[in-house]
Amino acid sequence: MVREAFDRKLASIREDVLKMGSYAKDCVLLSMQSLKEQNLELVEKICKIEEESDLLNFNVEERCLKLAALQQPVARDMRFIATMINISGNFERICDLAVKITEITRKTIGRPLLKPLIDIPRMAETVGEMLDIDLEAIAQQRSVAAEELAKRDDFIDSLYQQVYNELLTFMMKDPRSIDDATDLLFVAIYLERIGDIVAKTGARVIYMVEGKRVWIK
Amino acid sequence: MEVKISVQGLNAWFGSKQALKDISLDILEKKITAIIGPSGCGKSTLIRCLNRMHEVVPGARVSGKVLLNGKNIYEGDVDPVDIRRRVGMVFQKPNPFPTMSVYENVAAGLLLNGIRDKNRLSEIVEKSLKQAALLEEVKHELHKSGASLSGGQQQRLCIARALAVEPEVILMDEPCSDLDPIATVKIEDLITELKREYTVVIVTHNMQQAARVSDYTAFLYLGKLIEYDDTARLFEKPQKELTERYITGRFG
Repeated sequence: MVREAFDRKLASIREDVLKMGSYAKDCVLLSMQSLKEQNLELVEKICKIEEESDLLNFNVEERCLKLAALQQPVARDMRFIATMINISGNFERICDLAVKITEITRKTIGRPLLKPLIDIPRMAETVGEMLDIDLEAIAQQRSVAAEELAKRDDFIDSLYQQVYNELLTFMMKDPRSIDDATDLLFVAIYLERIGDIVAKTGARVIYMVEGKRVWIK
Repeated sequence: MEVKISVQGLNAWFGSKQALKDISLDILEKKITAIIGPSGCGKSTLIRCLNRMHEVVPGARVSGKVLLNGKNIYEGDVDPVDIRRRVGMVFQKPNPFPTMSVYENVAAGLLLNGIRDKNRLSEIVEKSLKQAALLEEVKHELHKSGASLSGGQQQRLCIARALAVEPEVILMDEPCSDLDPIATVKIEDLITELKREYTVVIVTHNMQQAARVSDYTAFLYLGKLIEYDDTARLFEKPQKELTERYITGRFG
């Protein structure tokens, strides 16, 4: 088959981007677990995964740019390479945001959280589901179901609003809770942002496969 | 956008061998249209049908229509020589007239058309060489032989020669195939400039060239038009699987 070597390089990039996707999912779910359990070991594990994600992102980008320069890809190949650069950056950003959650875990070690975590872990689980949708589509080289992503992203947004309202109530009732409430609010913000990133990733997958530009809201 | 040349149901034969099958497309005015496709698909045959060069080959014939500004160039009352002036051609291998100087090469078509006034001739020669981005390089050597120029300069001389007779359309059949990369870039820059005043149709084997310079691209395969679209759209998201396979190099 023609261009076998080129196709192998594209497949290898896809595998590494899938690896980054699984790093992103691990980081999000472990960051939630580390916060609930106040587990510093998990925090260290997340930071290590984030470092690997950084290196892999750089490597993926470098390989994509090299292929663009040397192979002059067009059509599907060009869309694939452009998308892989974009998605790889997205997954690396998700790991960064998960590390920010671990900074809050470190801050809260040794003292109880302001309130039991209920909605915030649900946000993280939903992010995990969205990542699964994206990763499956990338692995199978097919488009994503945009409505499935949009539904879940909307759900995350609504949970964020609930968390925000609840924490605001805490802060208004007792100003001494502002510091702790703000910490949890930041966790919710990071998860809401991660949800947006994963939705945008899905939109890029649609572009890669179908050549169509969509917005997933 | 105006249609400069409308090809309608065009078929072409070399004897009994059919080279083009029912081709229809509209070439837009003052745009660059590239024609791509594998060897033998009919690219050169197609452009040679646009200025009635195909019929000079013994046994060659066409059916269908080629409308230039709305008039079919194959109608009985059309002078093919006039068509070839209005729809000029530049070939793969630069072919300046070897026994003529730079000046004489550009003036040749004018003299054949009856222009004798020396001032007028010089004015047109200078203008054509300037349009072909060659004047600065040869202005002190206009009486040197055209064949003494470099390959890239010779090709620009051929373009100047075509421009001198004030064509409306310029056909280019792989104009850069015989040139080095630097000469190629100069020709490509020139082609981009030419579309300000002329309609350009370029046949090329180099898909990256088609992507770089053209506004529209037509993909031919086995004598048929497979796809014709805005170049950016065709190279980003071709509609036909065959086009996708060809431009991504997965033919065969």
